[in-house]
Amino acid sequence: MQADRSAERIGDGRGSDPSAAILICDGLRRAFGAIQAVDGIGFTISPGETYGLLGPNGAGKTTTISMIAGLLRPDDGEITVVGRRMTPNSTRAKAEVGLVPQDLAIYPDLSARENLVFFARLYGLDAARRRERCDEVLRVIGLAERADDRADTFSGGMKRRLNIGIGLLHEPRLLILDEPTVGVDPQSRNAILESVEHLATEGMAVLYTTHYMEEAERLCDRIAIVDEGRIVAEGTRPELVATIGSLDVVRLEVAGDTVRAKAALEAHDEVTSVDTDGTAIVCLLPGAARALPQLLAAVAATEATVTAVEVRVPDLEDVFLHHTGKALRD
Amino acid sequence: MLRAALLILGKDLRLRLRDRSVLLFGVIVPLGLTVVFSLIFPEMDEFELPAAVVDLDGGPIGAAFADELLPELVAAEVVVEVPAADEAAARALLADGDISAAWILPEGMSDAVAAGRGARIEVLVNPDRALAAEVAQGVARGFATRIDEVTLAVATAAVSGVPADQLEAVGQRAATSPPLVTVEPLVAQDAQLDPISYLAAGMAAFFVFFTVQYGVTGLLEERQQGTMPRLLAAPIPPASIQIGKAAGAFLLGVVSTTVLAVGSRLLLGASWGPPVGTAILIVALVIAATGLMAFVGSYARTAEQAGNLQSIVAVSLGMLGGVFFPIGAGWLATVAAVSPHGWFLRGLGAQVADGDWRAVLPAAGAMVLFGVVAAVPAVLRLRKAIRW
Ligand SMILES: Nc1ncnc2c1ncn2[C@@H]1O[C@H](COP(=O)(O)OP(=O)(O)O)[C@@H](O)[C@H]1O
Ligand SMILES: [Mg+2]
Repeated sequence: MQADRSAERIGDGRGSDPSAAILICDGLRRAFGAIQAVDGIGFTISPGETYGLLGPNGAGKTTTISMIAGLLRPDDGEITVVGRRMTPNSTRAKAEVGLVPQDLAIYPDLSARENLVFFARLYGLDAARRRERCDEVLRVIGLAERADDRADTFSGGMKRRLNIGIGLLHEPRLLILDEPTVGVDPQSRNAILESVEHLATEGMAVLYTTHYMEEAERLCDRIAIVDEGRIVAEGTRPELVATIGSLDVVRLEVAGDTVRAKAALEAHDEVTSVDTDGTAIVCLLPGAARALPQLLAAVAATEATVTAVEVRVPDLEDVFLHHTGKALRD
Repeated sequence: MLRAALLILGKDLRLRLRDRSVLLFGVIVPLGLTVVFSLIFPEMDEFELPAAVVDLDGGPIGAAFADELLPELVAAEVVVEVPAADEAAARALLADGDISAAWILPEGMSDAVAAGRGARIEVLVNPDRALAAEVAQGVARGFATRIDEVTLAVATAAVSGVPADQLEAVGQRAATSPPLVTVEPLVAQDAQLDPISYLAAGMAAFFVFFTVQYGVTGLLEERQQGTMPRLLAAPIPPASIQIGKAAGAFLLGVVSTTVLAVGSRLLLGASWGPPVGTAILIVALVIAATGLMAFVGSYARTAEQAGNLQSIVAVSLGMLGGVFFPIGAGWLATVAAVSPHGWFLRGLGAQVADGDWRAVLPAAGAMVLFGVVAAVPAVLRLRKAIRW
């Protein structure tokens, strides 16, 4: 049923080739003074696909999507949305995009409905469609009851939902969400994630930025790991994990001289990479269970003491650590 | 472009009217202040001008001034007549401070005017008594206009405690100047607005500079409250955001000033002269205000900063323009020419004096020029506000 609807939407004649990419960006670069915020980012998003940009604060995620949404002119590179070149003046490309900015972008003195109606007009929805879409969006974001209350009377979670709702109004082919769950209570957060999942099943292409690994893992079909303005790894979750080989993760909480402990682990034959994460040392190696006693012995031979041990399969945090040498969380 | 600008304008007007500050500062406060000031400064009504008239003409025109106009002014308690036998006596009285002005009606004035040759009434004034000087010149000017504006001119000479030979020189300069000397327009024409109308117009001009500030502060607010990226992401030309803001500021300015014009007339009996001229002046004033405030605001980073800068400039220009008290002759009057407020008041005075709306055109032109000259760099500078 859902699959049928998405097929309809994709093949509705707006794009010539149903399988054609919704978004193509290539070689994007943008500097602010001496800061190279984005340094050669390129990727493609297909219809119905949810694509994640996962990276820490300052990685260049917002700068990247600002260029994709036509707010900011890239220093270099090309952006194509549904076959149209995106620039700050290309209204036709912009009509295909819904943007949910990282910071709240709603008028606090207008009611939820007035906010929606204003932006619906700005996107050129006619009166009938405007009414229909506003009602629909109010229902989806769970604000139908509060539609006529001013936005500044809303809780943080409600404002976030309204912020997202505005981006959905004109049923864009590409929805861009910039860290939509930052500063949101767990309940609202879950509601937001569920609605994003739902949108994807309806055939919308979604570009989702986050610095939460779990969100990227849960929502995204493909993920780009971004650091210092560059994509350091890209692919599905299994593909990304595979970039660090079929390795296990051994995480050792260490008290004492972590530097010498780390050196001792690096010297071990089977360990392929070692990083520190606070007071912990994280090693990647094949067959951790078998090698664990040797690792503990190696650490014990130094001045340090192991206070806790964890063995697990790698996740995206480990992938990030492996590729950048630092932790995703700040 | 236009559609998007109108949408933004409509949204802004809704917000502005909702927060009531437009109604408060655009209409209620200026009207209230007009009333308060007219109560605090009743001396504007009780102004008296001690003056002398020296009728060297002796003809019918001299008589019209000395025997008809002057008694009228005395009866209206505007002028207190002090007798002076001749010009030298008048100069002496003026130098001693016994009178504030003297009108010298030249010999042969009636004949000259009748023959179409032209003549000139000389107005001797004490530059230290600015308001008196204005009124005296206004009286002469008004008389000249009534008699025959082509052939009867008015010349003004400043007389203070300077030596007699230098006074001679001043007198000669006045005498050798071209026949159609125009009296300082600010001076002659301000005097034509009655005090309540002057105050009401001054307040209207003063406050409209605050009403139109939001053209720029509104842009900066969109940035600060985070809605600018959303406007920029919408399928509208980025320039329509600027246009919407400017049009909204302009519209609010015109509406609030018009409401003040009508309100001060109905409530306080103020009269700004022919409605057509008033409308032209209001539009020109709001263009000047919008342009200037946008220019000043374009130097700010935040809405608060912009508001502060704009207020400083608005208050300074307002005071220079004489919205609180008329600026007299002298260097201050010259500086006051940079104030659109002053041009607005002068324009109104001119049309009241002439009874013809066309008299506002120079003042309206000056204000439009102000607005345009300020708006061009403002728009260029504010392009940064509609970029991300
Ligand atoms: N307008 C700007 N002016 C100057 N520096 C900026 C601007 N926007 C972003 N930056 C810098 O660019 C880098 C990337 O920022 P951003 O794209 O916001 O990262 P993220 O969204 O991943 O947290 C940061 O170092 C940030 O300080
Ligand atoms: Mg960001």
